[in-house]
Amino acid sequence: MPPRCIKHKKPLALLDHIVTQCRHRSTTLQSHVRGLTQELAKVMRSFGRRCRGQGQVFVQLVRHTDQPLLALGEPINPFALKAKEHLDQTRTLHAAQRQRLTLALTTAMHHHAAIRQQSTRLTPGKKLSHAKLVKAYDPTMAPILKGKSHCPAQFGRKPGIAAKPATGFIFATLVPQGHPSDPSYGLPWLDRVQNAIDRVRTGPRRQIHSVASDLGRNDPCLRQALHARGILTVGIPKMVAPIAPNPSAQDVHTILQEAGLHRKRTPYQVHLACASGYSRPVVESHIASLRSRGAGHVRYKGLAGAVRQQGMTVMAHNGAVIVHIRQQQLSKRGQKFRRLLGLKPPKRNEIKYPKN
Amino acid sequence: MRVVRYLQYWLSGPGARLQVTDFVPVMHPIRQWADTFPWVALVSAIEQRVEKRFPQTSPRGRRPVSIRVLLALELLKHALGASDEDICHRLRTDFAVMDACGLQDYQVHPSQAHFVLPETLCEFRSRIDEALMDELIAIQAAAAMEEGLVSPAHLVIDTFPSEQGSQRVTDATTLYKAQKTARPP
Repeated sequence: MPPRCIKHKKPLALLDHIVTQCRHRSTTLQSHVRGLTQELAKVMRSFGRRCRGQGQVFVQLVRHTDQPLLALGEPINPFALKAKEHLDQTRTLHAAQRQRLTLALTTAMHHHAAIRQQSTRLTPGKKLSHAKLVKAYDPTMAPILKGKSHCPAQFGRKPGIAAKPATGFIFATLVPQGHPSDPSYGLPWLDRVQNAIDRVRTGPRRQIHSVASDLGRNDPCLRQALHARGILTVGIPKMVAPIAPNPSAQDVHTILQEAGLHRKRTPYQVHLACASGYSRPVVESHIASLRSRGAGHVRYKGLAGAVRQQGMTVMAHNGAVIVHIRQQQLSKRGQKFRRLLGLKPPKRNEIKYPKN
Repeated sequence: MRVVRYLQYWLSGPGARLQVTDFVPVMHPIRQWADTFPWVALVSAIEQRVEKRFPQTSPRGRRPVSIRVLLALELLKHALGASDEDICHRLRTDFAVMDACGLQDYQVHPSQAHFVLPETLCEFRSRIDEALMDELIAIQAAAAMEEGLVSPAHLVIDTFPSEQGSQRVTDATTLYKAQKTARPP
């Protein structure tokens, strides 16, 4: 979230810049804009002091500050219209520069209008959730925590990963804009994995047999879409009760019947899907590995920066995973799964020669 | 060799030519890590995308730093948790980093402080968009699948929160901290 003063400060600074560019002499508009900037600075100075050491609810302070800010910000729209007129009439600027300034002014006023609308809703005292409160000042950045009333909301992104549970190799990553619902991540992830599969030139044809996830992605539409692609959804739980790792023959039959994948997937694949179902410790270990490489904090700017950082971290992590696989430094579970999936040659009887 | 051709302007120092690979053991973690990447495919994908998005209008100017070096530096930065400055500095002093960047031998002037400036790395990073990033991950995954190391048969999908690294001071944060400090022990 930007500092609160930005919401008026930025359009005012832009207006001042435009007037300076258009006219060499100072105008009435320029003096008005500068006067308003000074008044804004006074209000914001006192806001910082009032905020310090207060034991009141945060929303109250915001509402109290927003009222004078809204009153102060009223003349910004007429000022913007006048500045637009100046821009249209001026002959001192090049066409490209005029176009750039017009675009900047339109964008700034669009953002100003959006923020002003949110602030107007906030000041009458209507109770808003944390998400609404945060979005009032920066709609582009979403909070990543919900339902905590005793602490400020955490800002940032919520990237997702599609990984192989046994080894932790990440096939696809997704950093969405804003804070979409959990099931909405599902299909874009699988499209990216499919893109990777399509690039494979040699060896057997790879397919996604099953997808596991937490209860948050228990969505009938998502299940239906996955079944249509021939993917089992055994690993996505329907209730809090854990998934049976060893289903009976009857259960396997029911699973295949429900998914409508009787001819596409074999009982053996269902058994494997159940065994590699969602496990929080396993997923946490993958996330911890990413966090140790800096994925826990977005250090680059904006959504594009978050995508770059997440992508590079995932690639670095995958490199480390491949090193572990090549050196066979995997857990017992990982080694077993690799054997069952045919990724590792079966154990052979080796002649052990005596040391002495 | 393409990388050497690109890096020639900082490979022309006095003294004996040093073989980088001789200094880095085969079992060195960075060397093993670097050997896992399909560098040719990755560099080719970046070159194609960059040429399309940022076409070169003039043949003038100094030769650019090789994409292979910049990509390796960017990946190493995340693998080692280093900053731009740190990793660029290590490229000058660390043989394992040089090896990971595809540099086989070098002959450098001792007074040269940098091989690659952090600003160059930053500029390279800014040219990577989301589509290219997805393509790079897909290339890496495809290479691992071709090698028979991984299979996408059974996947687990999940999300995790990633905070904004440089947290800006907000009203809520200020008040929260004020309440915490004002609270009697």
